[in-house]
Order: sequence, then C-alpha cells, then structure tokens
Amino acid sequence: MKNVLLRPRISFFDMAGCEGCQLAILDCEDIFLELVDLVEIVEFREAMSETAPRFDIAFVEGSIHREIDADRLRDIRARSRWLVALGGCACHGNVQARANGWSPAENLQRVHGLDTVHRVQTDNRYWPLWAHTRVRALHEVVKVDYLLRGCPVDRDEFLHLVKRLLAGSRPGFAAQPVCVECRRHGHECVFLHGETCLGQVTWGGCGAVCIAGGYRCDGCRGLLPNANLASHRQLLRERGLDPKTIDQRYRLFLSGEITAQDAPDEQ
Amino acid sequence: MAVYLVERSVFLEWIGMLARHERVYFPQPVSESSFRFNRVGSRSLLALEDFDDSSRVKPFRASACVPPPVRSLAPDNELLFTFRRDKAGDCLLAPVLDNSRRILAGVRPCDLKAIALMDRFQRAGIPDPYYLARRDHTLIIGHDCLQPCDEYCFCEAAGSLAWREGADIFLTPQPQARLLVEPLTDQGAVLLADAGFPICEDVKGCRARAAARRATPFGRRFAAPLAQVMQVVAGSWDSAVWEQHADRCFSCGTCNLVCPTCSCFDVRDDFNVEDPGSGRRTRRRDACMLEDFAEVAGGHNFRKSTAARQRHRVMRKFVYLPDRFGGTAFCVGCGRCRRQCTVAIDIFDIATDLLAGAGEGT
Repeated sequence: MKNVLLRPRISFFDMAGCEGCQLAILDCEDIFLELVDLVEIVEFREAMSETAPRFDIAFVEGSIHREIDADRLRDIRARSRWLVALGGCACHGNVQARANGWSPAENLQRVHGLDTVHRVQTDNRYWPLWAHTRVRALHEVVKVDYLLRGCPVDRDEFLHLVKRLLAGSRPGFAAQPVCVECRRHGHECVFLHGETCLGQVTWGGCGAVCIAGGYRCDGCRGLLPNANLASHRQLLRERGLDPKTIDQRYRLFLSGEITAQDAPDEQ
Repeated sequence: MAVYLVERSVFLEWIGMLARHERVYFPQPVSESSFRFNRVGSRSLLALEDFDDSSRVKPFRASACVPPPVRSLAPDNELLFTFRRDKAGDCLLAPVLDNSRRILAGVRPCDLKAIALMDRFQRAGIPDPYYLARRDHTLIIGHDCLQPCDEYCFCEAAGSLAWREGADIFLTPQPQARLLVEPLTDQGAVLLADAGFPICEDVKGCRARAAARRATPFGRRFAAPLAQVMQVVAGSWDSAVWEQHADRCFSCGTCNLVCPTCSCFDVRDDFNVEDPGSGRRTRRRDACMLEDFAEVAGGHNFRKSTAARQRHRVMRKFVYLPDRFGGTAFCVGCGRCRRQCTVAIDIFDIATDLLAGAGEGT
C-alpha cells in the first residue's frame, strides 16, 4: 500500500500551447469538485495564483521552444514525483513542430519578412519568441512518466490517469489506432464514403470523437508505434490525394514524428 | 406449427407494435450506407427488401450492419460487476447480468450461423454468464436472402446461406410484397399465435418460389469444397501467402472488431474517485490483429509480425475453432472484414491463394 497517495499534491504548467488542455480539464465539472477533495492543487495558473516548491504529479502542457523553457521544465521535473505530458503539444510537438521542417531564419522570413531576419542577426536586444531553433516535445528534454495525448486531451483518459495514480496502480494507455475506436462505436469507415483519414496510423483512446461528429481523423494524438506509413501513403495516393496534399495532412499534427524518410515527397 | 403468409407492411407494423412493450432490435439506418441493429420504437423506420429486388447494394441486408447482431448479446464496454472492499478488507463483487427479454429481428442466415456458433463457444469450457444471460432471453427473427449483399459476400461458399438454427421465427420474401412467416421454435409459435396473420395454404410452393428466385451461384465461390479449403488452410502454417497479405496491413483490428465470430475482449477496472477501494469492471472488444494483443509481461510478443497475426486470425476461423466445435467453419462468409478494410485484405482471397498454392504443390 506504500504507493497509495494520501492527498497528492498536483500542479499544472504551460509551455508553448493554447492552454486548451487545461481548459479541457477544468471542464470535468461534474467530477472536478470530488477530485479536488482528494488532491491538493498547489499550482495551476489557469485557475489560481499560488505556487509550490514540490508536488507529486506535475501536468505540463505545451511544447519546448526556447532553452529557458527547457530549463523551466528541468526544474519542474526535479520538483515532481511524476511528470505527465498534457496534450499533443507536450507529447509530440503538435502543430508547432511544423516549424521544424525549415530553418529558423526561413520561418522568420516567411512569417515576418526579411527585415526581421536581419534584425535578429544585428540587434542583440531583439530575440522574438518565435526565433527558436527547434520545437521539442517534453520527452526530448526530460523523462516523462505518462502521456495524455490529443488536441485537446480526453477527459476520460485524464480521469483514468489520476484515479489510477490515486489508487496506487499504473495507468495504462493501449497503443491502438483510432480504427479500434470507430469499430467499437460501430462507425462505418469514412474511407467508404470517399473521405480519407489518418486513423490507421494514429493513437486511439479518443473515442473517435471527430469521426462521430462527421469529420475524419487528422492525427492529433500522434503517430502510432510501428505505424505502416508506407501502406498508408500508398492508400492516400490511390484515393486521389497528390503527394503534396498527403505531406500536408501528415505534417499538420505529426511533424514532430514524421521523419524525412517517412515523407519522401517533401520538397 | 402454423405457417403464415403476410403482407410485408403488415408484418413490419406488427414488429412496430411489438416494439411498444418489448425490446426489439432491427437494422436502423445511421447513414446512407450504414445500418445498425438498434433498439426500435413504434415509430422507427422498418424496411425489408422486396422479393424482386435485385439491386446490388442493399440497405437492411446483413452486411450493411457494421456491428453484427451478435454484438447485441455482448455489447462493447459492458459492465461486468461492481466491487468494493468491506471493513474487514474483503473484496465484494456484485455481477451485473442482463436478463431482460429482447427480440432481434431481421437477422440474416450468415448472422444466424454466427450467433449459433457463438452460443456453442460461449457455453463451452468456462461459460460466459454475461453473454448467456442475454442469449437465453433473446428471441430471434431470421430473414432469408435471395440475393447476395454485394460482390464481397461468400456466405453460400462458407456454408451459411441455408442456416436456420437459432432462429425462432424465419421470414422468406414472397411475390406481391408478402412474407412467408415460419415459426421454428415453440417460443416463436407462441409469439405469432396472437398476431392474427393469415395461414399459408401452400408452404412448399412458397418455399419453392423463393428457392427458384435465389441467385445461383450465390456470391463468391471457392475453387474447392469448403472442407478442402479448411484442410488446405490447416496445412499452410509455413506458406508465403501470409506475408503477401500482410505488407499493406495496418494491424488496425477492424477485421476482428466487425467479425460476428470474434469474441476476444479486454477488461478494465475503474476506481471510484471518492473510494479507490470500490469501482467497476467493464470489458471491451479486443482484436488479435492489434500489435499488442499477444504481448505478455516482460514485453515478449508471441505474434510480433503482422503475417503471424494474419495467420492466427485465418487459422482461428478455418481451423482452431472448427476443430473444437464440430468441424463447422467459423468464417460465415458475411464479407464484413473485406468491406471495412481500407487496404482490401480479404479472408476469401487469402483462402483462395492458399488453395492455389496447395494445388501447385501437388
């Protein structure tokens, strides 16, 4: 029973992200008050102003862009028993990782024009937030104990993780594609309706909410281990997507995980 | 037992009447091409195809229902029991069995066979009380097929087309928008007794009319009798065919999850927030094509390659389960796995390729 936590101290932190995952957690209204009774929330900028020196579970949202953020993350790691990557940005870089496809100077020029590039080079007081070198997921900087995937995170997975840690057992998230969710819910495959989807190569656990809502899967939960990308790329081609569109589809959420080898058509 | 000849609209109205005070499941549209065995109310849209209907893709047909009707007897995410710890520290379990009566209507021969096979499977060894509680309180109204669902159907080749076992009432389409309504069990006869349907004077003639109308050949055919197909699959452990059908596979588990004779599951315990000593255990469908299905403690995986998993799936349908349950193929030929597979992996093609390979070998 030594693993059972008595009123664990929980904290939330945000790096580069939209804070939507923290909102998704505040959205667990029906159960949040009960949960608050069992845990002690010691740091949560989205909901309170206090800070704390140590905690049992640190939830960190967002991706790491600057070295100062990496240092902050290392500090959080050192103060927490468990560290949980909260959401797609923290787990795999999410949409921000698209920037990794080009050099920082190129990105700066694309977004803010050539003047900005020159200014970064010549003005030592000017170092904008976006002049990072590489977008990193948390696990590229520190050891991450658990990943809560998705954009935003799934509330049931969040509750599963917290309850498991409270009960002193291990949270588990199966490496299964979104297709499993669709079939369990009885959805017919969107490919049968002429749509194309990234579900076969994407981590499930989301309840296939996007497909249930009449959309497709764009892969926000990250690339499944050993995903058969060669076959998937071939399938998308057969369904009429040109190589550029296919790359765009992969790069929307999966830039942090798709390597150059996986994306041979990338120019 | 009396057999009836009823106008289809009258029969469907009667189903709607039943649905007022019984739990009736009937294929319901969820999209243009997708149907589900959902519980119906008295105002639900109920339809069956016509005797003369020979269009290729049919709504309300078995295969258009992506989750097969057998899933009504073992729904996904079903609650198995709740648990709590008492003061002495003992764990108390309270099983949740669904003993409510239900009627599954519009079940096609392939699915009738699947349910009959799952009945045998679930009653054998350590019986599954959750499935059996539902099954023992379920009445099934079957419906004959005079045309194959589409180009993927091979129910006749798989020995399912003539299947009747498990149905309490069986419907056969007749000309002039009528249905031959045959009770096959006492329960079925009791249900029909009060319906006030006109008695059929010429049952044999009606059956013969339907038989004459039935498409021949019915769906796809194997190049050899089913028994030989099964024998060839059994001897194909080292075949190169498994690899050929694995290259493009995503291991997504769809073929398992839509299969009416796949029943593997995983259980999950959920603790209550206010008292982690209490909670509930649920189970959900698992799939042997998923990469982690055969992974055990320590990280060893008994079927690490996609080809090995593909072989296991096919062997289970044509060899392992038939060996245990009287030699009947557990693949019923409904074609759901092929239809839902985005890269067109087809158990029919796999069996056909194995057969061809065996032919070359001799």
